[in-house]
Order: sequence, then structure tokens, then C-alpha cells
Amino acid sequence: MNKSIYVSVTMVAIILGLMIALQFRTASSIDRGVPYGREQELTVEKRQLDRDMEQLREEVADLSAKLEEAGKGYSEATDAFNSELLKIKLYAGLTAVEGPGVEVILDNLPENTRPGVNPYLSPIKDDDLLKVINDLRGAGAEAIAVNNQRILATSEVRLAGNHINVNLTKLTAPYKVTAIGNATTLKSSLEIKGGLVEYLSDLGIVVKVEAKDNILIPAFTGVLRFDYAKPTQRG
Amino acid sequence: MPNQRKEGERFMWLGLWLAVLGLGVGILVGLNIPLVLPHAYAKYMSVAALAAMDSVFGGIRAAMEDHFNNDIFVTGFFSNALLAAGLAFIGERLGIDLYLAAIVAFGVRLFQNLAIIRRHLLKK
Repeated sequence: MNKSIYVSVTMVAIILGLMIALQFRTASSIDRGVPYGREQELTVEKRQLDRDMEQLREEVADLSAKLEEAGKGYSEATDAFNSELLKIKLYAGLTAVEGPGVEVILDNLPENTRPGVNPYLSPIKDDDLLKVINDLRGAGAEAIAVNNQRILATSEVRLAGNHINVNLTKLTAPYKVTAIGNATTLKSSLEIKGGLVEYLSDLGIVVKVEAKDNILIPAFTGVLRFDYAKPTQRG
Repeated sequence: MPNQRKEGERFMWLGLWLAVLGLGVGILVGLNIPLVLPHAYAKYMSVAALAAMDSVFGGIRAAMEDHFNNDIFVTGFFSNALLAAGLAFIGERLGIDLYLAAIVAFGVRLFQNLAIIRRHLLKK
């Protein structure tokens, strides 16, 4: 019986010592760590922050929806601008175009069938070329190029020595005038009886008009300058 | 009768030394094992430790008064500790600081037991 008393007393003492030591260590580690009650404080704070975050998330979603809407409007506007720009470039001749049309080739007669004419002097004059261009325009040509030089509103066709200058580029015979438009109308307007083809043939120029299903006309590649003309609201 | 009493006292002192030894061993072990209680349980543990201490002092007092009962001592030790911890736990759940009740009750008993032990020691 005595033995069991000792055993139980010893065990109880060991357990008590363990508890006290553990408690001591825990308490001292609490002192070093976060004070009790701080936890609750932080919990309240966290809850508040969670709420705030929730609100901010909603705000973010709202704002991004608005931004998306605005972006949609913006892209629509950009698209409209781009299509307008494309149209204007097309009208101005700043884009390459293709479509049905005619190809007119003007050439001098071969030298041996050109008696009494200076072989170095081209008998094709700027006037002849201008007439062709004018006729094509009159027949509804939408885009015209001479030897791949696009004819713009500002393009010149000028005789310069043995050459003809178009867009400040020297061109020599044979001249290939390409025009996009209704091919039959263009062709017939040139080949009409008493028309341009007859007139030019009489002048000793070989004229060949050919309707084509698909003609590629390049864009204007030079520099456009508008130093003096300014846009105005008047008129 | 005096002989028997002397015998009982001898047993008591041996028990006391064993208790002190056990306490030392327990403290040593507790300080060295790599185990730290979560802070949330620290409160329960403290109240349980207080109750256990009260039980031990009660046991010493009983030994001095010569009516030490091993079963009562051991069951009292564990039940007091568990009750105190449970009280603290329930108090926490209910929102009342019930562990204060345990601290006051066991603290008062602790001092009473200590006073009685002191008297017994001085009376000798």
C-alpha cells in the first residue's frame, strides 16, 4: 500500500512539474509574442478589411465594365475613323487599287517606217498623253496611271526634252496608260469613230487599247506638299 | 502509538522527498521537451496547474493530519485539474470569465492549506 502511495505521489509531482514548466514556457513565449486580446483586435480589423476589399472588388468590377464600354466606344470610333481614312486615301489615290479596266499602249512607229522624222525626238507629246487621260476621265475612269505613275489631282504631265515627266518622274515611250473603270465604256470612248485612237494614229502613233479583267494600279509614292493651302471653314 | 506515529512521519517525509524529486524531474522535462502549447490553451493550462497545486498542498496537509488517502489524492488531483480547465473552457464559450472562479476558489484553498501546513510544522 505504501509503495502505491509513493508511486502516485511521484507521478503526481512529475505531472505537476511538467504542467508548471510548460505553463511557464508558454507564458513567457506569449510575452515575447502577441499579447492576448490583440488577436481579437486583429480579427475585427481583418473583418473590416475583408469588407473593404469586397467593396473595392465590386468597384473594380463596375469600373472595368465601364472601361470596357468606353473601350468599345473608342474602338468603334477608331474603326469609323479608319474606314473614313481608307475611303479618303482611296479617293486621293494614296492606296493601290485593282479592278477591271483598260490598258492603252502608246508607242512610236518603228524607226524604219518613220521617214523624215528625227528618230531621237519622240513624236508622242505630253498633249497626246493628256488627251488620253482626259478622255479616260471623261469616260468614268476611277484610277489612272501612266507607266505605273499614279495620276493624282496634283500630277503634272509635262514634256521635258525627250521624256515626259509625270509626278516628277521621267517616262519614255512606250507609254502604258492603265485605267480602272467600266472596261467597255472606256474602250469604246477611246475607239469611237473620229475619236482619240483615230486621231493619234493619224499623227503616226501606234495605239493599242486592251480591255482587261483585272488591272493593278499602284499608289502614289511621292511626297504631297501643302505649304500654302490651308483648310478653312469659309465658303 | 507514538512508535506508529513516528513510523507514519517517516513515510511522510520519504513521500515529501519523492514529491520534490518528481517535481524537479517534471520541471526539467517540461523545460526541455520541444513542445509549446498553443496560446489559446494557455489559460486552461494555467488554471489546471493551479488546481493541481491545490490538490498537492491538500495532500500534504492530509499527510500531516494523518488521514492521507491515496485514492482521494490521485482522483482529486486529476478531477480538480480537469474541472478547472473545463470551467475555463465553458466560461470562454459563454463569454464569462469563469476561470476567475476557479482561480479564486483554488487560491483561497491553497492559502488555507498552506496555513494549516505551517501550523502543523510549527506545532511540532
